[in-house]
Amino acid sequence: MANDLVRMEHINKNFGSVQALDDVTFTVGRQEIVGLVGDNGAGKSTLIKILSGAHPASSGQIYFDDKPVEIKNTWDAIQLGIETIYQDSALVPQLSITRNLFLGREPLTGPRYLQRMDKRFMDEQTRKLLGELGITKAINPDTPITSLSGGERQSISIARAMFFESRLIVLDEPTNNLGVEETHRVLKFIQSARDKGLSCIFITHNIYHVFQVVDRIVVLRRGKKVCEANPKQTNIDDIEKVITGIHDTLPEHRAG
Amino acid sequence: MQSSSRLQRLTSAPAFKRFVAAPEFGPLVLLLVEIIVFSFLTSRRASVDPFFSIFPSFLSSTNITNLMTFIPELGMIALGMTMLMTAGEFDLSVGSTFGLSAIIMWTFYNAGLTSLEVGFLVAMLISIAIGFVNGWFVTRLRIPSFLVTLGMLLIARGAALYITDGFPQRTWSAESPLVDVLVGEFRVGDLRIFTSLLWFILFVVVLHYVLVHSKAGNWILASGGNPMAAIARGVKVGRTKVWLFILSAVMSAYAGITSSIRVSAANPNSGDGYELEVIAMVVIGGTALTGGRGSILGTVLGVLILRVMRNGIVMVGVPGLAYKIFIGAIILGMMALHSTLERRTGNGR
Ligand SMILES: Nc1ncnc2c1ncn2[C@@H]1O[C@H](COP(=O)(O)OP(=O)(O)OP(=O)(O)O)[C@@H](O)[C@H]1O
Ligand SMILES: [Mg+2]
Repeated sequence: MANDLVRMEHINKNFGSVQALDDVTFTVGRQEIVGLVGDNGAGKSTLIKILSGAHPASSGQIYFDDKPVEIKNTWDAIQLGIETIYQDSALVPQLSITRNLFLGREPLTGPRYLQRMDKRFMDEQTRKLLGELGITKAINPDTPITSLSGGERQSISIARAMFFESRLIVLDEPTNNLGVEETHRVLKFIQSARDKGLSCIFITHNIYHVFQVVDRIVVLRRGKKVCEANPKQTNIDDIEKVITGIHDTLPEHRAG
Repeated sequence: MQSSSRLQRLTSAPAFKRFVAAPEFGPLVLLLVEIIVFSFLTSRRASVDPFFSIFPSFLSSTNITNLMTFIPELGMIALGMTMLMTAGEFDLSVGSTFGLSAIIMWTFYNAGLTSLEVGFLVAMLISIAIGFVNGWFVTRLRIPSFLVTLGMLLIARGAALYITDGFPQRTWSAESPLVDVLVGEFRVGDLRIFTSLLWFILFVVVLHYVLVHSKAGNWILASGGNPMAAIARGVKVGRTKVWLFILSAVMSAYAGITSSIRVSAANPNSGDGYELEVIAMVVIGGTALTGGRGSILGTVLGVLILRVMRNGIVMVGVPGLAYKIFIGAIILGMMALHSTLERRTGNGR
């Protein structure tokens, strides 16, 4: 398709003798949420780490906005508008919400050589964002991340990506360790990000979450892309069978 | 009754609460206690024992001058170390760099190779190289800073000994404006003050600003707090750390040269063991050894606490050799305090 936001073509990745990715072609459309699923070690994290510049592909080509790009490090990815929220933590626990929100993109005030952060502006924006997050209890922008719940942390990571008008948000298992309420909030957030024009890659082991929010499902198994499906035209059972390897393809593909 | 309610109002004010909860509060209290105890003990000793009345008391201008002379030297190193430790690394080679820099400057000068100023520049350039190599090994080769800077400790000390054959270098023949700029003397009332103290204060202000208010400070804190998250946000963690290793080495070299001019001796062994004393000062001030939390003001307090302790116990008549017992006890006590506070408040900025 000519109008995809991201096209990763024929991506291979070897870690020594381990082939983590085997000729994977993966696309994300504009304003599309793609669910990337697969068992442990299928290569999901590896694929998105290549996209976000955490490590290079062994071979393959990436296109962004239909232009071939080389993503050598995280900075390159950020410049393209790719924002990654990692499985473990995307925030610096000791720092305040404000400092985390603006980390790497601190607005400055005063003469340039002083490199002074515009704390007032930062705090203002943080307060506004916290309000939009729907976190009901009053949270001070100075609060260190350590005193927030897992869901609040995830929401802040996602809000940060939206705030800086990234084009693509990559979420590696954002709903891990979250309660029902907080999971729900994160899912809603992903949808509202799409409504604002962003695209999303959503990795999770929870098929139910995938079915709730994504526009397309991509299944990886042992480093290979085994199928793509529209959640409206398939069901959870069939996808699960493909993930675990009971079936190689979805029913209609097998028939046809 | 009325005064107690006024006290209550004061202690419940938000500004007061913030003051008490600040990580610098513990060290500040400790410093005040030290000063009060030593002033009391020295004055009592002088009144009881006529022999001691010839010695200056703790708060005399002679003793304060004495204290303020030493503070900038270890203090400069501690400032650099604070920035580095906040970014999650530390530097064991500071003491050796302290010794080597003075040796280089004076060797060049005494051999008639260069003027003192050029010798100073050469020493500074070498310290930049030392810091760069430390940083490069740590960030590029991913070797823990403990091992890298231990190696550098030995190399720099070995170099100083090799260059001098182990003998101190002559330092008294120097006439140079550099000497006045670095450690010129002037008097304020009864106090004799070295310009090195002014340099120290300048660096305190600048580095405090950098750490708390500048963009670089945010990067330093994040590099120590969660390097992976910082990298994912485009923070150049490796480059930040290399710069801080360079800062640490430059501050040590500067301190070494200052000290050699002041005491008129450049000994290849000077600065031996400073690394641990400096790290002690920094952690007492509330900077985390593991990174992510750091305070320049805390470090100033840490420097003062150990300096006052070293000076005070000698003045009250405890043998100076017992000094290490007290430092050890202070470190343990302060660490217990910081960790309790952190657990209770989830400290952050
Ligand atoms: N840095 C690495 N060095 C060596 N092998 C690696 C590395 N990273 C990943 N692998 C291997 O690549 C394969 C794919 O790993 P990856 O992390 O992409 O899986 P995943 O699909 O994200 O799994 P999970 O659902 O458990 O997070 C695994 O076999 C893993 O062991
Ligand atoms: Mg993974």
